[in-house]
Amino acid sequence: MRTTNEINQSPLDIIRQNKEVERRVNFIKAIFLDIFFVFYSVLVVQRAIYYKFILDLRDIPFSWEGILLVFIISVVISVCWTFTRTSISCKLFGVAKNNKVTKWTVEIFGWFLFNITFIAGWIITKLSIVDLFSSEGLQGAERLFGALFRPEFGIFDDALFAMIETIYIALLATLISIPITLLLSFFTARNLMKSSKFTFAVYYVLRLVLNFIRSIEPLIWAIIFSVWVGIGPFAGMIALLVHTIASNAKLYSEAIEGIEQGPVEAITATGANKVQVVWYAVVPQIVLPFLSFTIYRWDINVRMATIIGLVGGGGIGTMLMQYQGLARWHEVGLIVLMIALVVWVMDYVSAKIREAIY
Amino acid sequence: MILKVNNLHKIYKNGTHALKGINFEVEKGEFLVIIGLSGSGKSTLLRCINRLIEPTAGTVEFLGENVTHVTGEELRKVKTQIGMVFQHFNLINRHSVLKNVISGKLGQLKTLNSIFGNFSEEIYDEAYRSLEIVGIREKADERADSLSGGQQQRVAIARSLMQSPKLLLADEPVASLDPATSNSVMQFFEKVNKEFGTTVICNLHFLSLVRRYATRVIALKAGEIIYEGQPKEINEEWFKTIYGDEAEEVEIR
Repeated sequence: MRTTNEINQSPLDIIRQNKEVERRVNFIKAIFLDIFFVFYSVLVVQRAIYYKFILDLRDIPFSWEGILLVFIISVVISVCWTFTRTSISCKLFGVAKNNKVTKWTVEIFGWFLFNITFIAGWIITKLSIVDLFSSEGLQGAERLFGALFRPEFGIFDDALFAMIETIYIALLATLISIPITLLLSFFTARNLMKSSKFTFAVYYVLRLVLNFIRSIEPLIWAIIFSVWVGIGPFAGMIALLVHTIASNAKLYSEAIEGIEQGPVEAITATGANKVQVVWYAVVPQIVLPFLSFTIYRWDINVRMATIIGLVGGGGIGTMLMQYQGLARWHEVGLIVLMIALVVWVMDYVSAKIREAIY
Repeated sequence: MILKVNNLHKIYKNGTHALKGINFEVEKGEFLVIIGLSGSGKSTLLRCINRLIEPTAGTVEFLGENVTHVTGEELRKVKTQIGMVFQHFNLINRHSVLKNVISGKLGQLKTLNSIFGNFSEEIYDEAYRSLEIVGIREKADERADSLSGGQQQRVAIARSLMQSPKLLLADEPVASLDPATSNSVMQFFEKVNKEFGTTVICNLHFLSLVRRYATRVIALKAGEIIYEGQPKEINEEWFKTIYGDEAEEVEIR
């Protein structure tokens, strides 16, 4: 906290100084962003467009020295460019000169970036109309679709049990996630945690961990847990659980961050402590969104549980994988049909429930 | 003297200098009204008094004690003695009126009791009495958001009465109400002020309300006090200084 003296001397100076500092910081940010833009464009043009497309090389020459050279050249060019204050990053960070040159460079370079990115994407994905409509490929597709649309009902009993297993995997993952997510969400809501340095540190670390967990797909978690606890429904359930906690903690905490501040202010003003403020002013505002997110997540988990089965997470997915491996497309057809049906019903039911509670 | 504000400054993080050295005193039993344009610092000033906002510099003395830097338990004790009513009522919409009123008592209750809704008979009695004072006892079991604006504000007043406040802050309490309702809500502030001797500090916009209810007026402009005196002394000239040359006085009755 500033002392009285400092304030009395020059509050306006402080404001002015802050603005100057902000401008400098933005300029430095602009330098880095310009380096990135230029380095990126040179690399894409050289490697994707020139080597791969124009020269059509099979093995693209690669050496770290070459990359370093490109980087140094990019740095030199972009720093010069930034200092003219007409670059695209200067514009983005609001430190550009307001003239015609800036306007033109921003427009031209913006288009250039967009186009080379699109072209590089085209080259890298090997986008090919010829492959899509080759007669050989079309025959294969015809054979497959023909089988899928004539499902084999002989395995219906097994498929039904596997489907039930999948639904329960999803349900249990969702149920167990609720209390854990609830607890976590309060500790990952910025507005509740920013008051002291310690709580903010907890908030920050928790967010980081949850972001990391969420960024790993449930499919990968299923692989990890099928090694950990063995292949089967338990591995699938726990994989879904982990991902559900991480995803819903974010949704829940965002709901907490989006609450109306008025009631919080009012309850704080009565002299209530932090726990009381949360219970009286925050919780009543988030009960409905929490319920809604959770039901929606159950719906998502049913869909994911089928996918997770593909890597040994149990349920209908595992069954699908087995028949696909044997190329028994009529059986695969039945399983796909059942999955589609269940997902459709879940989608409908969860939407109806969510409508009803709002 | 119940409140003394000394050279109070507030500079927000974005650089806005909202309060520029505010000095004033409030005697017990006064009905002080603060007027000024939107953005003149009225709300910031009220929130600095009960520390919903931390002042950047200066001091606030409440009941003779400097409360500017108290924290934790002590700060909550100060807050329990200062009631506050807001422009948008700030009730808990999904709770009943009664529960909203009881929440005014939270600062004096044990955490566990308040979470499990363990309230003593006395607290219920007190809540019903508070509702009676503002004349809506019969609405006790209804949901707060089913009430009209004026009724919600009366619930908010009842909530602050649960604190048995020595000082009642009101931040534009009638700004989102129609003129007739405004007047009736203001009458409840007057009642609290006269019958219980509670000191009231109230932000208002309409001069007709100021003249009728205030015992003293402070006018803020761009974070500074530019007028302090009796409501009847605000003439045409002062009005233009406070609200700008373009402004014209609007009467509400």
